[in-house]
Amino acid sequence: MLIDKKKCVSCGACLHYCPVGAIKFEKGVYYINQDICVECGVCIRSNACKVGAIYQPELRWPRVLRSVFSDPLLVHPQTDVPGRGTEEVKTNDVTHRFKRGEFGIIIEVGRPGVGTYLEDVEKIAKALAVHNVEFEPKNPVTYLLDIKTGEFKDPAVKKERVLSAIIEFKIKEEDFPKIAETLKEVSKKIDTVISVGIATVCKDGEIPLATVKEAGLTPRINGKINLGLGLAWSYK
Amino acid sequence: MTHTLHRSGGKKSLEGDYVFLAMASREYNLNGAAQKLKEIAKIFAKYNPVNMGDMSSGQPVTMARGASPEKIINEISDRSIVHAVYTDKETVKKVLKELKEADIGMSVVVSGIFDEVFCACKEVSISGPFSVDLSLGIMGKTQLLPKEEILDITTMCGHGLVSRHLVAHLVEKIKKGEITVDEAAKELAKQCVCGVFNPARATKLLREILNKEK
Repeated sequence: MLIDKKKCVSCGACLHYCPVGAIKFEKGVYYINQDICVECGVCIRSNACKVGAIYQPELRWPRVLRSVFSDPLLVHPQTDVPGRGTEEVKTNDVTHRFKRGEFGIIIEVGRPGVGTYLEDVEKIAKALAVHNVEFEPKNPVTYLLDIKTGEFKDPAVKKERVLSAIIEFKIKEEDFPKIAETLKEVSKKIDTVISVGIATVCKDGEIPLATVKEAGLTPRINGKINLGLGLAWSYK
Repeated sequence: MTHTLHRSGGKKSLEGDYVFLAMASREYNLNGAAQKLKEIAKIFAKYNPVNMGDMSSGQPVTMARGASPEKIINEISDRSIVHAVYTDKETVKKVLKELKEADIGMSVVVSGIFDEVFCACKEVSISGPFSVDLSLGIMGKTQLLPKEEILDITTMCGHGLVSRHLVAHLVEKIKKGEITVDEAAKELAKQCVCGVFNPARATKLLREILNKEK
């Protein structure tokens, strides 16, 4: 995003809307720090600017990744879903993406509201690739990775900054403690935060928590529940 | 996208925060999904959600941004992801009951306190099999995060579009008497493009911030 200096009246109305604080004011002029900006589009959509001074220039590779990962109104060509992730548990009653005894691990780098350079995403992916995890093929981060090493295929993407990016993979439930240990270690080496989630299937109506507790982690009291109402799709 | 996971807050506050989502799988049941999603959305609308929306057209069509439930329903396509937000378990139970009876055959997800949602499901004989997303919280450089009271508001937009700076700015405007608490909550909800932000809960949380600062 950019601010057209000729149009801007320096009212400051846009300043507080930027989730990552990229809008700056120096020497009487408002501008958008291009390194910090994640191209999420909040500043334009907020309609805070009454003179139309904020505009989106054409984004080229690799900067275009900023908008693809940060603006949820854009649909990823790899996932066919708006937003940064996949259908994950949302359609699990239909897709059976996760089965009993399996954990889908969802690591959202930069969430909540901190943002991340993609180089921190790579640090985490590399640490996980050592365990030969099965990276979710339809995830937009996986598309950028060499799934054997966890390194980005194009190193130029590492300096791009996004609101958040999701690393997704599937493991056996019993392997969770060693993955949790890796996450605890690698999270000390990154310059951002990660929000960690697990997608799984209940057993006899109970959430399988044994290996989560074994790893010394406590889930929040709230989360997402797919009700299983899509099961009927095959015979309707 | 795990956009309705990781909503932070205490039990009392989260008891007023339930989000429904309905969508088709891109690979399995996409064709003709619009009609089924419209039926589900009509059920959502019947029980007066505090927010509702669908952003699949590439435009944010949400109640918080001024769209009526009728407009949201009319614009539903096969690719829609329809959301609705409620503030109490009794209403959640009514929605669940009607969804169960309608037997539409489309994936529906509820985000909320697990015990409360499972209990509501049991009362209306929804028995799963349930798939769940658990939140294990936040790791890494947590010193970069705002105060918890701010986070409880901003995490209601899982896409991270509600700025911590906007929350702080609006709190100051309320204190100066320039806007009301309700107006501030509505302004925050407008930034969420899919309609999962809960403005009623935001109003309560803003009041708590203001009371704490008195």
